[in-house]
Amino acid sequence: MTRNKRIHVDARLCRDCQVCVLACSLHHEGECNLCLARLVVTKDMARYEFDILICQHCDSPDCILACPTDAMLLDDRGVVIIVDEECIRCGACLISCPYDAIFYNEVQDRYLKCDLCAGREEGPLCVALCPVGVLTLVDVEAVRVGV
Amino acid sequence: MPSGWMGKILDVDLTAGKISTRDTMAYAGDYIGGRAMAGRIAWDEIPAGVDAYDPENRIIIATGPLTGTLAPTSGRTVMTSLSPRVYPRPWYTHSTLGGWFGPELKYAGFDAIVIHGRADSPVYLEIRDGEARLVDATDLWGLDARETQLTLKGRMSPQTQVLTIGPAGENLVRFATVQHAEENAAGHSGFGAVWGSKNLKAITVRGTGGVSVANPEALLREVIGAGTFKKSPAVAVVFEGDQNLRKEESPDDGGVDPAASADSAESNGRRPICSQACTFDCIIGSYERTVDERLIPAFCIGAVWRHESFMQDTEYSGGGVEVPPGRNFGLCEEVSLHELCNKLGLDLWFRLVMQPWFIRCKQLGIGEIRGHPIEPEDLFWFERFMHQLANREGLGEIFAEDLVRAMDELEGELPAELIHLGRELEFDFGFPAHREGRFWDEEPLPFWVISAMMHISTSRDPTIGTHSSCLINAEFFLDDRELARRQFRLLSEKVWGDPDALEPTFENKAPVAIWSQHQHMLIDSLPLCDFAFPQLVRPMESRKAWQNAEDILGDLDLDLRLFAAVTGVELTREEMTRIAERAFTLERALLARAGRGRKMEETLAPHFKLPCRADGTLIDEAGFSGLLDEYYSARGWDLELGWPQADQLRELGLEEIIPELDERRRQSKAYSESPP
Repeated sequence: MTRNKRIHVDARLCRDCQVCVLACSLHHEGECNLCLARLVVTKDMARYEFDILICQHCDSPDCILACPTDAMLLDDRGVVIIVDEECIRCGACLISCPYDAIFYNEVQDRYLKCDLCAGREEGPLCVALCPVGVLTLVDVEAVRVGV
Repeated sequence: MPSGWMGKILDVDLTAGKISTRDTMAYAGDYIGGRAMAGRIAWDEIPAGVDAYDPENRIIIATGPLTGTLAPTSGRTVMTSLSPRVYPRPWYTHSTLGGWFGPELKYAGFDAIVIHGRADSPVYLEIRDGEARLVDATDLWGLDARETQLTLKGRMSPQTQVLTIGPAGENLVRFATVQHAEENAAGHSGFGAVWGSKNLKAITVRGTGGVSVANPEALLREVIGAGTFKKSPAVAVVFEGDQNLRKEESPDDGGVDPAASADSAESNGRRPICSQACTFDCIIGSYERTVDERLIPAFCIGAVWRHESFMQDTEYSGGGVEVPPGRNFGLCEEVSLHELCNKLGLDLWFRLVMQPWFIRCKQLGIGEIRGHPIEPEDLFWFERFMHQLANREGLGEIFAEDLVRAMDELEGELPAELIHLGRELEFDFGFPAHREGRFWDEEPLPFWVISAMMHISTSRDPTIGTHSSCLINAEFFLDDRELARRQFRLLSEKVWGDPDALEPTFENKAPVAIWSQHQHMLIDSLPLCDFAFPQLVRPMESRKAWQNAEDILGDLDLDLRLFAAVTGVELTREEMTRIAERAFTLERALLARAGRGRKMEETLAPHFKLPCRADGTLIDEAGFSGLLDEYYSARGWDLELGWPQADQLRELGLEEIIPELDERRRQSKAYSESPP
């Protein structure tokens, strides 16, 4: 279901409910922890604006080029994933990401990023649970040609 | 320790400047968390006889096991204390607020905060990942609630969540709020003034931890099963097509991109939410622009300010009481005024009682009070009056005591009709009239009778816990009485074992009132949102769906399943109800400690002699007394005082409070036999 897909974000619709973030950490880590999710909702209180940072699974991912080991790779779905066992915690991927969508959890000393809910046949949970359609799963090809 | 709870409560002694912790689990088994747990702490630790502004009064800020999890609408926080707003004397009560503070508190490692004492000078409490300290807040004193939050977020991080008071709290305005984010507030009970009395300006919290979940798969299953963006039944039925409440604007550019809106903004109805983890499509939120073109959210009573027809709904005439319609100043002007109210830290409800009261003054030829001109239909006068309230200046000095106390102050100076009107507008022990079927919203028989039973027995107006569970169902009645009656008979049989439970009569309404109160206790303790839980009526997406339904019963056990998924603790409905009854009974004991009982509750009777605005029904003093008898009996309380009795307290595991209640009974009896 997630082959050659990515998650499109229309942050204008966001309500800051954090359901996507909570679902992400619950699915991946078994707890509700905003700092262990693979996406982040940000809010500017002064202007009442939101943004959602999540991996766009680039065609030529800078993070893979930046990684000095084999910790960043494209899996057979075309999804960029982190292999934690190979990661040397250098942070090069985080710095290289043009979407600020790779996150460092200081408590666990781990880097985290979206894997489109690998292993979940129904697709990413954040997309399924977003109440207002901020997150949609789209074909990479469709996005590329502006469909 | 079971999942869901963090295990620690933060104790803050402002007088000594000391901070310590205690174990949450000492309370969790009998009280779960939130409001129920706070009541236990209050009974044990707030000394009898102290005033709201006494350093020994506590501010208790409590979350529940669901707070910070994915459980829908669980991002809520409860605040309790002795309330300075309550009339004629303070007693213990509660407010709840949505937002993001409670979850962040748990991510920082704490379930609750208990604050007592008084700092020598302004301070704020800073909490970060298991650590807490008091910080000098002299430079923040005087800032409004929005400035304070932006300043503290700027100093710490955008992720930091802040509770704060505005000038109204600093100046001990009796209806001062504790504010959070743009619109969330512990608003109704005047706790902002308690903060002010303690020199506590703000609490900041930042946590990078998480809330453990016993059964993640079960929680995900329940959340997915409950569905997202469901409308509450009343939204679908009553407000369907109400364009004024359904502004479709994007927060950044004032309009939704048509290309993006086909299956998102337009069809979903873009509205803000008031709490983390809210997955519902709730009628109470809307976005509007200020006079300087900023888009800000409003919820519930905040949205009422902006809504011209709602302000006009303050109009009432009957039983010798005339309440004129409120004056709407125009959309963006109202949005800015409403934002100002939040900045100053005033309870938004003051507008609903004070503006009509001042307009009635003008109608009766009163143009000034103690030399202060009154122009309640003038935008600039009203804006100035709000500043005066928050700063206790001029006319604001009198009305910062709240309308009902202002009537005591002005009695003899103004026509008796105005004094009477002021007292009726805040008839409920100082709380603005709401959910009583007269002055504000429409509750036909039997809903106002159920509401009256809740007014006489709870520590504050029963508005909050009854939005979805009980009283809003009145809207169905008003819309199609025969259809609603037919549906309610089936529903009543299933829920209360009595098909007549919601029949439009005066008799046998106590079971619904008590059920609603227990549900309210649970949603304030788990916690969940009262607009979404309990699902007495299942969510329906359209008016047509409602009209075609016979069985409208919702999923009443969703709370139990969410609780079990998060904590791993399986409770039956009976066990959960027993926890709610224990906590409610303890709150009643706290009222008894403050001298509240039947005699005081009978003083509410005259308000219910006014005709119901929906159907003209009313009840005389004898009938009202009969409602008290029925309710107290159903509760197992004595009929003389309306207080819990020893056998009941033993059965609920509250035997330790029996000696104090016995002593207060003796004192009360001695007083009534030979009053001083």
